[in-house]
Order: sequence, then structure tokens, then C-alpha cells
Amino acid sequence: MKRSVLAFVLVAVMLISACSGGGKNTGPVNETPGNSGSKSEKLKVVLLIQGTLGDKSFFDAANSGLEQVASSLQAETKVIEMGLDSTKWEPTFNTVAGQDWDVIIAGGSQITELLNATAEKHPDKKFINYDTDIPEVAPNVYAISYAVNEVSFLAGATAALTSVSDLPNANPDKKIGFLGGMDIPAINAFLIGYIEGAQYAVPDIKVAVSYAGNFNDPGKGKELSLLQYNSGVDVIFNVAGGTGLGVFDAAKEKKRYAIGVDSDQGTMIEGTDKDKANLIITSAVKKIDQAIVHSVRGIKEGTLELGKLDVVGLKQDGVGIARNDIFNSVVSENIKARLVEIEKKLIDGEIKVSNAMGMQTSEVDKIRNSVKP
Amino acid sequence: MDSFWSVLFSTDFAFSVLRVTTPILFAALGALISNKAGIVNIGMEGTMLVGALTGVIVSAYTGSAWIGLLGAVMSGITLSAILAYFTLKIKTHIILGGIAINMFASGGTVFILYLVSGDKGTSTSLQSKVLPNLHIPLLQDIPLIGPILSGHNVLTYVSLLAVAGVYYMLKRTPLGLQIRSVGENPQAAQSVGISVGKIQFIALLLSGFFAALGGAFMSMGYLSLFSRDMTAGRGWIAIAAEALGGGSTIGTFLASLIFGATNAMANALQILKIPSELIATFPYVATVVGLLVYAIVESKRKKRKKGI
Repeated sequence: MKRSVLAFVLVAVMLISACSGGGKNTGPVNETPGNSGSKSEKLKVVLLIQGTLGDKSFFDAANSGLEQVASSLQAETKVIEMGLDSTKWEPTFNTVAGQDWDVIIAGGSQITELLNATAEKHPDKKFINYDTDIPEVAPNVYAISYAVNEVSFLAGATAALTSVSDLPNANPDKKIGFLGGMDIPAINAFLIGYIEGAQYAVPDIKVAVSYAGNFNDPGKGKELSLLQYNSGVDVIFNVAGGTGLGVFDAAKEKKRYAIGVDSDQGTMIEGTDKDKANLIITSAVKKIDQAIVHSVRGIKEGTLELGKLDVVGLKQDGVGIARNDIFNSVVSENIKARLVEIEKKLIDGEIKVSNAMGMQTSEVDKIRNSVKP
Repeated sequence: MDSFWSVLFSTDFAFSVLRVTTPILFAALGALISNKAGIVNIGMEGTMLVGALTGVIVSAYTGSAWIGLLGAVMSGITLSAILAYFTLKIKTHIILGGIAINMFASGGTVFILYLVSGDKGTSTSLQSKVLPNLHIPLLQDIPLIGPILSGHNVLTYVSLLAVAGVYYMLKRTPLGLQIRSVGENPQAAQSVGISVGKIQFIALLLSGFFAALGGAFMSMGYLSLFSRDMTAGRGWIAIAAEALGGGSTIGTFLASLIFGATNAMANALQILKIPSELIATFPYVATVVGLLVYAIVESKRKKRKKGI
């Protein structure tokens, strides 16, 4: 008797989970209104994300871009959250590509291969890959890469100028810090730009570099930052995801400065912890939303050239440092002026920033060691 | 090489060892108690994570770090009670139960965080509180020792007191005796009228209590926020520390300290010009060496016994 009840419960649970799983992935797709019958002039744009919304960073930025597409280009839009289970991505891509969407948007290195493969199978559709570094692009895909080395150059200049300034929490040591998630090209692209920017602004600056080895351990992030602050560092740039949140805690404890990454992390924290937020002088931001709006507009107007990887930098307004209220109130006027001047030179191409992508490990090592305190 | 030693023999480094050790020590003590009662609770990681999140949420809503800590502890005990119900009452395999706790905690904390704050990554939008740091009068004025021992988070001191508490409990109290006898020989314990199930239940609750304290330290002492999977393997290291400690309270404490020290060392040495990949292996090399030494000592002792 007991067994049959258990079996029944198990079957019921499986059924429910199967239904809910299906509902989550295909449900929204089936709901899409309008089909080949109603030939409206509206551009139909769908965004696929390999995770869930609410990450306050990557996916939310893409979603905000899509919302702007809906309002400014009067497009019909939809977001599909594919979840973290990578086995569900391919079927979702195929289903969506088989429907009547004009533009299909997705981004991130993990889905680049899948996106290109789907695009090749559906040559009548246009695809946008809003963040990738892989240069192979299908002929109907427009891929975007962000010049993080350029924005890190500005972040480095900000850090170095802050370190030698007489701001209340800066010390006389000419030392700044960098906390990376892992010693990999994608992170070192930030690092090399940061070092070059710092050296451009203050030639004899030293840069302490630490890697946490992961992206989800803020405790370790704090520990490594405390060590850097204790050794005389007064500004740390974090490029370490969740681990990087520990930098801000350390900054608050030691009353030193920090720089955020990807999204405007200072503004994000401002609502709950003003003291902490006021130490995050700026953030190196990827303007994913702008990139999406820009490329969808290009597709609508027929001006966008597909089949290539575009690197968007400061010139294209694809990246930038966050000039928020904290930046405006904390950073001194002459530093701001210097930064505007440096940014102009970067945009005009007067300053060329090296890119760690495709650099030999030994070269990265050499640069790293040359600035070690 | 001078800078190498100056890093390791600084008060900052010694201070950080205690700080890094705290969460590991709490969870290791929890693992010790349940192991003593003959149940392997591998749900430490998950229990820590739930404790960390509950502490943040409760403290954010009540505005008190202490009530937050109470909430964290309660959540740890509750979670362990659920585990105990499944394993002791309806006889689920303890390892499966522990795995379930860990998986539930990893996904469930993100889900609850989303319900409460609307975020799926971190709790930065919650105004959570932090437990205070204690500056101990007199002690803090002693040179060298003062800066190392004073100024820690209150939970760090609690963890050190807990070592003494657990030692006393296991050695000197009736409960400790019952826990040990149940662990060593449940049939014998039962024959003298000890309720094996009840003692194991209590042991599991205690292990949840300590794991939750470790979690609360992570989110309310060490850091001021919760972020997904923030315990980052410390619950597992704690289980390893308990095993390395040979199942004794003092051994567990020392093994936790070794793990804490090697982790702190791996952090501290990043400042020097040593490749970070090499440094990152330190804690693991130390584990292997520790186990090796333990095995050699143990086998020698056994040989000597046989010889006599």
C-alpha cells in the first residue's frame, strides 16, 4: 500500500515538473501573437537569455536595451529566459528561429557557437550576438565585442590620479590594485588596459594584482583586498563578479576607494549603504543596452552590415566609465578634466591601448611584473 | 625572500588567519558532533548557506544583527531537523539527505533572495546589519598579541569559546558520553537504555546550529551581504578538517587552523612575485601533507602496539 502511494506521488511529481519545465520554455513562445497572416510593419524582436533576469548586470542590461527597442523603435518584443540548463538552449533556439521573428538577440561566449549554428540553418532571419569575442560570425549575424581595454584604460587613469591626489581617503603611496576573478585572457584584457591607463596618467605608479581563482567567493575577495589596502594600495579595480563584492566591504572597512565593473555598481549599492557607495568612485561599464538599441535600429533602417564582429569602444559609446553622483561629488575637478582629455585622445585614436586578447601569456606576465610593487 | 617572511610574520597575517579560520571552525565543530554520534552530515555547506541568507534577511527586517543571528541559528537547526526527520525517522540514506540539503540550499537561497529582494545575485538591496567587532580592553594594549587577538568579530571569539564548549560537552557531560557511545556502538548504547534516535537527532541539531553560526559569520561578520553560493566550499573544507583532526575536538581545531592558515597564506603571498597558480595550490598541498603525516604517525603507533 505504502509503495503504491509513493509510486503515485513520484509519478505525479515527475508529471508536474515535466509540465512546468515545458511551460517555462515553450509556453511564452507559443503565446507570441501575430503570425504570417497579419502582415504588420512592426519589427518583431526576441531576446533569448541563457539564465534568468534579475542579475542586475549582464542580462538585465540586455533586457533594458530590448525595452528601449520596444519604446523607441515601436518594435514588438519578447524576452525568453532559457534558464541555466544548457541542454534546453538548443531546442529553444530552434523553436524561436522557426517562428516569425525578424531579429533574434542573444549574447555571451557560451551561446556564440549555438547562435551561429542556428543562424546558418535560418538564413532568412537576422541575429544579434550582443557580447562575444569569437571572430567567426555567420553571414546573417551581427556580433558585438566591447573594448574593455579602452574603458579599463580610463579606469586605470582614474585610479592612478586618485591615488596621487589629496582626496581624503588616498594615501601618499603611489600604489593601486586590481582584483581579477581568474588569470584568463578575458580578465587580463581589463588588467592590461588598467595598467596602461594608470601608467599613462602617472608614469611611476605601481599596480598590485591578485586573482581570486573564482567568481563566487566574496569572502576571498575581501581578504585579498584587505591585503592590498594594507600594503598601501588606495584604489582597487575589481573584475571578479560576485567575488568582487568583497572589495567594497574591504574598502569600507579600510576607508579606501574601489572601482566597479560591468554595471554601475556604486549606484546599485547607494540605496542601502551610502558610506560604502561613496567609496566606489566609478565603474567601468559595458553599455550593452545601447549596443542592442543601436544594432536593432541599424537592422530596421537597413544600414547594419551583418556577418562581422564589431568592436565597440569609447568612440561608439559602447563602453564608458560611470559618471554618476558619487563620481561627480568625490572626484576633484582637475582629475575630471584630465579624464575628459584622456577620453578624447582615446576616441581620436591618439592613444592606442594594447589588448590582452590574443596576447602571449609571457607578454602579460612581463607587463604585470613591470608594475608590481 | 625577506618579504616572504615579513608577510608571514606580520600581525596582519596572524589576524587574518583567525578570521579565515572562523567559518571553517564552526562548521568543523558541527561536523565533529554529528560524526561522534555516528552520522556523517555532509549538508554543512548547504546549512551554512541557508544560515547566511536567513541572517541577512532577518536582520534587514528587524534592524537588529542579534535577532538576525538568532534567525540564522534557528534556520540551521530547522534545516537539520528536516534532515534528521528524513534520515532517522523515514530512513533516507544520510548521504543522499546531505546532498539534497546542499542542492536545495544552493538553488533555494537564490529563490528566496529573489522573493525578498528581487535580486538573484546579491543582497545589496537589503539593509542588513553586521555583528560588531570586539576590542578587548587590556588585551589590545599588549604589543604583538594585542593586534592579533583583539578587534575580531564577536563570532570569532564565539568560535574559540565553542571549541572549549564542545570539548567539555563531549568529554564531561552526560550528553557527550551518550553521543560518543551511540557513535561507537549503537547496540551497546541501546542495551543500557539510551535512545539512539534521540541522541542522533540532538547531535544533528547541534551540527546544524554550528554550521549556521559559520554561515552567519560569512554574511554578517566577515562580509555585510549575502551572495549566491558565497560559502564557496567552506562547508566541505570543514568536513575535511574534521577528518584530518582525527575526530577529536582539539584535532579538529588545529586542522581548521591549518586550513585557515594555508588559505590566508595563499592570499597573502599573491602580493609577492610568485605565480598565483602555484600559490593557489598551497591549501591542497597542505592537506595532502597533513594526511600523510597523520597516516605515518598512525601506522607507526599501530605497529608499536602490535610489537608490544
